[in-house]
Amino acid sequence: MSSKTRLLITVCFLCSVGMGIAIYKNRKLGVPLWVGEQNTSWLVEARVSFLSSEQKPVTVKLALPQVAIDEGIGQNAGSIGFGYSTDIGTSGAKEVWSARQPNAGNNALYYRIRFPERYKTGGANEEVKGNPPVAESPGLTGSVERAARAIIEQSRAVSSDDDTFFTHLFLQISRENRSQELLLLRRHYEIEEKIDEQQLLIVMGIDLLRMAGIPARLAHGVKLDPEAGTQAALPLIEYSDGVSWKVKNPAQPNVTLRSDNIFVWNRGGNALLEVFGADNSKVVFTVTKDMISLEKMDQLRDSPLFVSTILALPLSERSVFRYVVLIPLGAFVVVVLRNIIGVPTLGTFMPVLLALAFLEMPLGLGILMFVVIVAAGLFFRFFLSSMNLLVVPRVAACVVIVTLLMVLMSLVSWRLGMRDVLKITLFPMIIIAWTIERMSLIWEEEGKRNAIMQVGGSMLVAVIAFLFMKIPQIQYWAQYFPELLLVVLSIILLIGRYTGYRLSELHRFRNFSES
Amino acid sequence: MHQWWHRWFRTPKELRAMGVVGINMRNARFLLPNNPRKLYQRVDNKLCTKALAEERGLQIPKTYLVVKSPHDVRLIEKQLAEYDSFVMKPARGSGGKGVLVIDHRDGDVYVKPSGVRLSGEELRHHADNILAGLYSLGGNRDQALIEYRVTPAMVRTVISFQGAPDIRIVMLHGYPVMAMLRAATKESDGRANLHQGAIGIGIDLATGRSVRAVHHGNMVSIHPDLKSPLIGLQMPFWDQIMELAVSCHEMTELGYLGVDLMIDEKIGPLMIEVNARPGLAIQMANGVGLMNRLEPVVSRHMSHPNESRSERIAFSQKMFSAKNESVPAP
Repeated sequence: MSSKTRLLITVCFLCSVGMGIAIYKNRKLGVPLWVGEQNTSWLVEARVSFLSSEQKPVTVKLALPQVAIDEGIGQNAGSIGFGYSTDIGTSGAKEVWSARQPNAGNNALYYRIRFPERYKTGGANEEVKGNPPVAESPGLTGSVERAARAIIEQSRAVSSDDDTFFTHLFLQISRENRSQELLLLRRHYEIEEKIDEQQLLIVMGIDLLRMAGIPARLAHGVKLDPEAGTQAALPLIEYSDGVSWKVKNPAQPNVTLRSDNIFVWNRGGNALLEVFGADNSKVVFTVTKDMISLEKMDQLRDSPLFVSTILALPLSERSVFRYVVLIPLGAFVVVVLRNIIGVPTLGTFMPVLLALAFLEMPLGLGILMFVVIVAAGLFFRFFLSSMNLLVVPRVAACVVIVTLLMVLMSLVSWRLGMRDVLKITLFPMIIIAWTIERMSLIWEEEGKRNAIMQVGGSMLVAVIAFLFMKIPQIQYWAQYFPELLLVVLSIILLIGRYTGYRLSELHRFRNFSES
Repeated sequence: MHQWWHRWFRTPKELRAMGVVGINMRNARFLLPNNPRKLYQRVDNKLCTKALAEERGLQIPKTYLVVKSPHDVRLIEKQLAEYDSFVMKPARGSGGKGVLVIDHRDGDVYVKPSGVRLSGEELRHHADNILAGLYSLGGNRDQALIEYRVTPAMVRTVISFQGAPDIRIVMLHGYPVMAMLRAATKESDGRANLHQGAIGIGIDLATGRSVRAVHHGNMVSIHPDLKSPLIGLQMPFWDQIMELAVSCHEMTELGYLGVDLMIDEKIGPLMIEVNARPGLAIQMANGVGLMNRLEPVVSRHMSHPNESRSERIAFSQKMFSAKNESVPAP
């Protein structure tokens, strides 16, 4: 069998397996082929982890979002070796996991809910049932109490009702330049409890609200930000104006909660997590966007082909895969640009890493930062070369200098209010340092024209790979139809046997004449 | 026929008709099937190539010194004391990267052909860079080779600006396929790479006479800096050169290769290096598509698998002579 037939058979096999699975998923399971055919939905996963010993029985209670129970929006719990049930009590719903003899060591329990995009936040005003709530006094005394009173008076003077009072109170206590009273009050809380700035504001704020006669309690939310990775619960404050309970984010007291960035997980003043019989318990949340509708998802889950989607993974792992599945596509772009177009690049797959970094920041800024880093690195490289250093120390020195430069750029741009520049840390530094080293060599050996051409070529390839990986349809396929990567693989194999001219050669040989 | 687009590009059809070979074609049809991976070691390491060549009694530049460790670097100057001129190069370099030519000394100072002066420290630093793998394939640690500097034969000093010209012969299955002389210019700074502005001069395989010269892809007939004629020059020792090239094929067993030679005033042709991935610019210099010559060799090799050295040379010189292909000298 010649190598050509072997290649063709392999390509046919790969294509038919890849496309076959994709078509099956589309036809039988109803996973849409095109992005945007379905409304997207949010998937929020709570992960409870704790350390248990073998002898002790463990009970874990996690407060659940009330809306999930009321409206039955998709939810499911997962655990190994634990029994679980949903307990709907007077003070809200709880998921209860229990085990008499859990595995010793670290344990993790999962609870997921899924709801469509633009759903309610779960933080809508809730009517007060029964007797109006009464604000308990926090029991401050002496000078601390006087200071608290003064702060309340200041906020009350510039507000007209409970809502505006809330806004002004939190603006006042989170201000940078602190008044005498605020400093005194803060010191009281700092001594009482060892807590960080965010918690301090919450605890202090709730006490001040209660002192002002406004019933207030702690609530918890989740930021609907798929980029955030795993996040701790976002503390929110629930307060009552006598008619209804309202939820606000004390970090942004003047903004009403929006359904596209915050989901209120737990309200009603209950503890978010209670664990009996184990240590070191904590709950973290992961958020992702799903582009498949809920019913389709359930069908898919029962199919053996569920394995072929990364949807089977826990959310925290899935957000890693979001980029992993894009890497082969970047490699594909490199193959096309190098072997068919003939763009010169520095380092074969360096552009893919660069493109992945670009995905995290605005493109123009990414290019600008890359150019600045490379230009500055090159400048220092020429400076270093006058000292006749050995190669590895020289590249290492370049890494240090470029890193310092990054720190400097971040600081300056932070001052200027450009937060995106902080993403500069995503650049593959070591690879950029080697790029600088090789570029300076080419600069010396073959002239600056070649050096700039090759770096420019790398950047062009990176930008094209970035634009390709940025297409929502491509991202969708990579995530929901990873088997299509087999088709990409077979195209790459075919390009591997392409013996025609590269586009750049048509230009290179333009003057070719036989006589 | 001249078309408007020839200013910018040629269509694939036109290139194919002229038999031009592209990189993808070279790799897939000639390199990969004929050059097994394990043989690359023989040519990628110049120490290895030179050892093989010595076994067969081929003429090569004498090795003065091999620098293997940072310790050796410190002793370079002492050990080179007796030599006035030499060449330092990485054992695993490619494309002429990291080659340092010292023309003569001026006291403690080493002078390059271009007149640039290097101190002993700079010389040692260059050796350190080579050892660290800066110029080498894959960036692995390397060794530095210091050898005899070829004194170019008279005829060829008049066509190369500050830098010895070298002859490249591309071969398939041991049949010489195409030859070119690469002459440095002021622009190429003593280097012989065509894309850096060196001149590529096509040589007739049958006679060893230059037939055509190309600078930046355009035909020229006189050297841009030296104003000397480039066409019709006779390479000395041409028959020896052919023999040497075919021996390199027998020595390395590579099916597709390029042999780089220089002609020394006193010693005659010397093998400088063997290249397992020879470039495609040689087509431009000769004005002949490589395919026109590779295909006859492939079929000849099929029909006459075990030809002797002289039979192969005779075949190539008969089939690929400039007269035969009727390429008129401009």
